[in-house]
Amino acid sequence: MQSLDWLLLLRAPYGERLLDATLTTLELSLLSWVFAIVIGVVAGLLREAPSCTARFAATGFVEIFRNVPLLVQLFFIYFVLPRVLPLQLRQILFAFGWEFVSAVLTLSLYTGAKIAEHVRSGLNTVGAGVRQAAVSTGLTWIATQCHVVGPLVLRTIVPGLTSEFVTVFKSSSLAMTIGVVETSYLTQQLGLQTFHWVEASTLGTVVYLLCAWTVAGVMSLVERWTYVPGLLRRGARP
Amino acid sequence: MSAFANDLVAMLGVLVVFNVGLTLSAIIIALPIACLFAVGRLSRRSLVYYPVTAYVNVLRSSPLLMIMFWAYYTGPMITGAPTSAYTAALIALAAFEVAYFTELVRAGLQSISSGQRDAALAVGLRPSQAMRFVILPQALRRMLPSLLSQSIIAFQDSTIASVIGVSDIFAMTNIISAREQRPIELYTALAGIFFVLCYALSKVVRALEARVNARTAGAG
Repeated sequence: MQSLDWLLLLRAPYGERLLDATLTTLELSLLSWVFAIVIGVVAGLLREAPSCTARFAATGFVEIFRNVPLLVQLFFIYFVLPRVLPLQLRQILFAFGWEFVSAVLTLSLYTGAKIAEHVRSGLNTVGAGVRQAAVSTGLTWIATQCHVVGPLVLRTIVPGLTSEFVTVFKSSSLAMTIGVVETSYLTQQLGLQTFHWVEASTLGTVVYLLCAWTVAGVMSLVERWTYVPGLLRRGARP
Repeated sequence: MSAFANDLVAMLGVLVVFNVGLTLSAIIIALPIACLFAVGRLSRRSLVYYPVTAYVNVLRSSPLLMIMFWAYYTGPMITGAPTSAYTAALIALAAFEVAYFTELVRAGLQSISSGQRDAALAVGLRPSQAMRFVILPQALRRMLPSLLSQSIIAFQDSTIASVIGVSDIFAMTNIISAREQRPIELYTALAGIFFVLCYALSKVVRALEARVNARTAGAG
């Protein structure tokens, strides 16, 4: 085994590239997470909508994205979606950097489907009584969701969101397969170029661990702020 | 159309040999280790508890892809013994699933009431025997649904092995798609195959869950 050279990867040009890749991982994960919450909450609430079509569509969306591997989804959206889009829209997307956009799109949909499941179990925690009470005061279904159920569900699913948020960071590593230069991509590139695999994979792993632990730490604060007294046992999360 | 049918047969063959094979072997390796680790997670000895907890935390916080890099590139670099892509993927997937299974088994063990253990000790079993004959069998039955749903995730994750060069169904589809220039049909078929299998398995998980809940509703 060759001697270790930890500083090699921090010197030019690798140090700058590592920083860029880490920022790409952060950008990819944060963007996807924000979109995923919106998608997940809407899809989760629609699964109990009065309209049969909306329920069916939401259930179909969740089941498809939960039961197909993320890597397959990623390639499907990256390769297949542009072929069915009109040419002009395709050109705009490609000019924007289709690798990154399709990675964000896939991660948002995939994570959104998982958050929708959390929302559904959140609805069970909140209970039918609250919803019936809201409807009986004369609110429409949409107003009930926006003013009563939505906010309450959002607070009850925060522990679930924590684990999905950590998972987004891990899943974002798959974006390397379609050519997004993020931490995993760079790790492999550094390893193959310098053959300093020990240093490269240690650095890559440390980046992911720091992301995951920071997220877990921040989210445990958020969990404390948003905790709904009486609805959930504290510390039920593993 | 027959060329497409041939491609589908080839894809399914590779799916059985590589993806299903990889997943099942990884689970068979991971489950016994996870049971030991779960007992370690509940141990009061810090020499056991902290290393196991650290293992679970680190592996659960890093991407499977990174663990595959460790197993395929970095591990052989340290040991000097080259590993095939398949072996590396198997080691990585098993090591990854050990961390997840450990937490599931631990939760299962904790769900068995302490009265069971007290009763087992009172009839003269040693603590290890109480775990082996009384607590673990009940806990395993109770956590079967969650273990199975984690196994479905492992099956989906087995496609990641293609990144380090295992010629699984995903790699196969990429090759065929590049050759035939028919990404729409091929990736739709690939997604369809996984959807049918995983959806059916998730229905099994739900049925099992209902059975376990019905059985444990009365007993504490």
